[in-house]
Amino acid sequence: MTATVPTATDPQPADAPTDATAGPQLLPVRQLPGSRRPAGPGPGAGDGSDVGDASDASDGGDGGSPGVRPSAGPARPMVRFRSSRPDLLLCGALLLVIVLVQGWNLTDFPALSDDEGTYLAQAWAVQQGEGLAHYTYWYDHPPLGWIQIAALTWLPSLFVPDWMTVAPMRFSMLAVSAASAVLIYVLARRLWLPRWAAGLAMGLFGLSPLSVVLQREIFLDNLAVMWMLLAFCLAASPSRHLWHHFGSGLAAATAVLTKETMLVVLPALLVTMWRHSHRDTRKFAVTGAITACALIGLSYPLYALLNNELLPGAGHVSLIDGITYQMSRPGSGFILDPGSGSNGVFRSWLYYDTVLPLGGLAGAVLLLVTHRWSVTARALAGPALAAVLLAVVAMRPSGYLPAMYVIQALPFLALVLAAAAASVTHAVLRRRRGPGERRALVYARWALAGVLAVSAAAYVLPRWYEGDRTALTADANAPYRRAAAWLGREVPDPAHTRVLVDDALWLDAVHSGFAPGPGAIWFYKADLDPAVTKTLPRGWRDIDYVVSSPTVRRDAVDLPTVKAALEHSTAVAVFGTGEDRIEIRRTDRESGS
Amino acid sequence: MSVGDGLFTSVVISAISFALFWVAAFTLWWQMHAWRTPETLASTRFDRPDGGDRLAFSLLLPARHEQAVLEHTIDRLLESSHADYEIIVIVGHDDPETAAVAERAAAGAPERVRVVVDHNETKNKPKALNTALPHCRGDIVGVFDAEDQVHPELLSHVDHAFRATGADVVQGGVQLINFHSSWYSLRNCLEYFFWFRSRLHLHAEKGFIPLGGNTVFVRTEVLREAGGWDQNCLAEDCDLGVRLSSVGKKVVVAYDSDMVTREETPGSLMSLLKQRTRWNQGFLQVYRKKDWQQLPGRGQRWLARYTLMTPFMQAASGVIIPVNFAVAVFLDVPVGIAIITFLPMITAMVTFVFEIVGLHDFGRQYGLRVRFVHYLKLIVGGPFYQVMLAGAAIRAVWREQRGRNEWELTSHTGAHLQTAGAGATHSSAPIREDAHR
Repeated sequence: MTATVPTATDPQPADAPTDATAGPQLLPVRQLPGSRRPAGPGPGAGDGSDVGDASDASDGGDGGSPGVRPSAGPARPMVRFRSSRPDLLLCGALLLVIVLVQGWNLTDFPALSDDEGTYLAQAWAVQQGEGLAHYTYWYDHPPLGWIQIAALTWLPSLFVPDWMTVAPMRFSMLAVSAASAVLIYVLARRLWLPRWAAGLAMGLFGLSPLSVVLQREIFLDNLAVMWMLLAFCLAASPSRHLWHHFGSGLAAATAVLTKETMLVVLPALLVTMWRHSHRDTRKFAVTGAITACALIGLSYPLYALLNNELLPGAGHVSLIDGITYQMSRPGSGFILDPGSGSNGVFRSWLYYDTVLPLGGLAGAVLLLVTHRWSVTARALAGPALAAVLLAVVAMRPSGYLPAMYVIQALPFLALVLAAAAASVTHAVLRRRRGPGERRALVYARWALAGVLAVSAAAYVLPRWYEGDRTALTADANAPYRRAAAWLGREVPDPAHTRVLVDDALWLDAVHSGFAPGPGAIWFYKADLDPAVTKTLPRGWRDIDYVVSSPTVRRDAVDLPTVKAALEHSTAVAVFGTGEDRIEIRRTDRESGS
Repeated sequence: MSVGDGLFTSVVISAISFALFWVAAFTLWWQMHAWRTPETLASTRFDRPDGGDRLAFSLLLPARHEQAVLEHTIDRLLESSHADYEIIVIVGHDDPETAAVAERAAAGAPERVRVVVDHNETKNKPKALNTALPHCRGDIVGVFDAEDQVHPELLSHVDHAFRATGADVVQGGVQLINFHSSWYSLRNCLEYFFWFRSRLHLHAEKGFIPLGGNTVFVRTEVLREAGGWDQNCLAEDCDLGVRLSSVGKKVVVAYDSDMVTREETPGSLMSLLKQRTRWNQGFLQVYRKKDWQQLPGRGQRWLARYTLMTPFMQAASGVIIPVNFAVAVFLDVPVGIAIITFLPMITAMVTFVFEIVGLHDFGRQYGLRVRFVHYLKLIVGGPFYQVMLAGAAIRAVWREQRGRNEWELTSHTGAHLQTAGAGATHSSAPIREDAHR
């Protein structure tokens, strides 16, 4: 096996400047970096050869000085993805499987989430030219995420306007997942993982039941992950092009503006870029990337400033207020503390999959620990650091841990898990192997590798099969669908009817003819948005219907108007049973109680 | 302001912003050419010579009122390790002091140094060079200025470059070194750094190149075929490059920090302004001569057009960017439009950052200590330098418009050369020694 053959080369070879002996260096004579092959038996020499630091050790070799380095030094194998047929075939086949698994039944599972409805509704507002939200945009998140969703869903919604509701528009996330999956393969190859390990990373990323569930949903994190993977790919660009690194900074800034929590990953990106840039051009490349990232990132406060909404003040929202709110969200407790909110979120992840979150984290730690000896570990330092950083942030005892937090970690967990597998395989097959090793020993090595692979598969595959089977067959959204249909069918005059709905149903209500804003009301706006409260002078009596979904019932505790509306209403239709049921309740305004 | 007015303002501002953005972005893209990839950077250097000096060099050294520095320059040239070269010092018939220095040098090394006297009534550099051209015996004609410090290994490297690449022209690096003399010399040094270190290589690659004034080497028969230098052009070096590359001659550029010709910035801001005016006017003249229109590629012609107009676009954008910015901030335009107006500003800031990194790299390459205050000067001086550039551009257009070109300005040039030379010897002599390690 060639577990780390490609990695047994110099991540930052200083080959170019020392090439002075190779031929004419003056400008018109172009030199093809990929054409040079290592002269010696360099590759495969072992995981332990410390070539990764060679270029840093030999400083001061500025071109003119002769013979800085032996010409037999390790060269970088170029990963020519686009012209490599095996890579394309493997990646294409995996992509097909991932798209099928993630796409099949995606409207019915998992259950529609409130956040999906929020983002899609705001994307809808952008499409309608109503600004960044159909209610006052209050700097809760940078708006770039749903601006992208608006762009993604714009064309389909043009042809079939009714599709602009949460379930059908999950298909737009399928495109994002597919792009991310391809990017993770490319990134793995650019980090010199062998082909099988790159495929493994892509498979882990795309087929883990946890990924399947979360990547189907319209979450900003999924878009942010795509941009961050692009940033990593560009940072590890094999041509080490200045503008690729610059583009990496731009992509990173886009990722952060899509989902601000991506900030945590930036140091890991920097590490990747540092390792993959060349000593002679590094200062330009890295500074350029940081500048690009900072300048694009600053456009958000600039936007707020231009709107006079940067600083808090009476009578308007502000960026500072938004940040203050996000930072002061009540903590959800320590993640390992049973009974805390964070622990519940954590266990919900583990319910879908333990392999990727726990195995990946173990892999990341393994790679960081073996940093000194393993070339693979050094090549993967960036993703490993990203996984660890995200884990550390999740461990904050006082922080708030959202359910989708793990989405950002998934690609890095998948990468480091695949890399750890590659590293272990390499150690089993190649470590301390002499040239004339006995045949029996070679067989033993292969047998051990085979046993490891089979037992890993035996552990993972049944669990994932179960998880993915649920994702492909379960129908969690029947109550929502039927409630939406009921609203469209049974309410006589939707244009003049006012209904409190949760975010997931809001666009359905709008498509049924309820007036967006005053007619179809995000339920919590009835209490929290002064602009909406103003239109409800008589409180719950100005409301005709409440669609009582689990979210509404959960949050109504803190929302007096919603609570009153629930109390002074009777269910006219009920879909589903138990906790997850959805009731459509008509308020008793005529009874005037 | 009515809706129509607002829309009009928005459209105009966006159009200007996008235009400025693209100008600045292209300039930045080209300025950073050498650092695109490590391979590109490596390819900008001289190849190591193979030891066989096979070409004969004729080095032209026009000197006018340069008695103070000329001797040193000739001595330095005589240290060259190359086997086969001659130095032709060109002095004016009206300049006995310089002539005396030159004759003394010729007497000291008769097999190497010759003196040619330029009898033209009005003098300028191209005339001096053309006067010497018939006297050249070598295969290669090289041009240096009287105050240049030339590296002893340079000729061997150039020799090898000619033979290894089959080039018709080799342009070596020229670098202003005294970045700590004043705020403008800092920027001036950096301009040279980006130009010779980076941008010129792009021009060589694209097949359109305005050559530099010295450390330029041309095959003698190519130069004679082209009729030497244009005596009426204020930027005869640029013009020669444009003419040669327009007829498909191969130009090769190499930059090695060890091997560059070191120079000093003009001694005062005024002489810098005058020098820049002369260059700009020269660029305008080259543009109007239309030799560049023979370039075969459309892209090449656009590069030529753009490059020759750069001083004027630079001046214009230096003025328009702040105005545009102010308009966006103070007029009531939609936020989206305001964001667009920041695009050129963003490019300008990226350029700034790369200049800072460039200054660091410059210090590293030349073993010079760049202090924090220099970075500060670089940033603070930026806008003022823009004003100077804009002034020079306007001045150039004005002079060209009124037909005030060669004679009037040449005498100016002579004066400024003298000042620059004197300044170099008196005030900055220690700097030179220092810079030279």
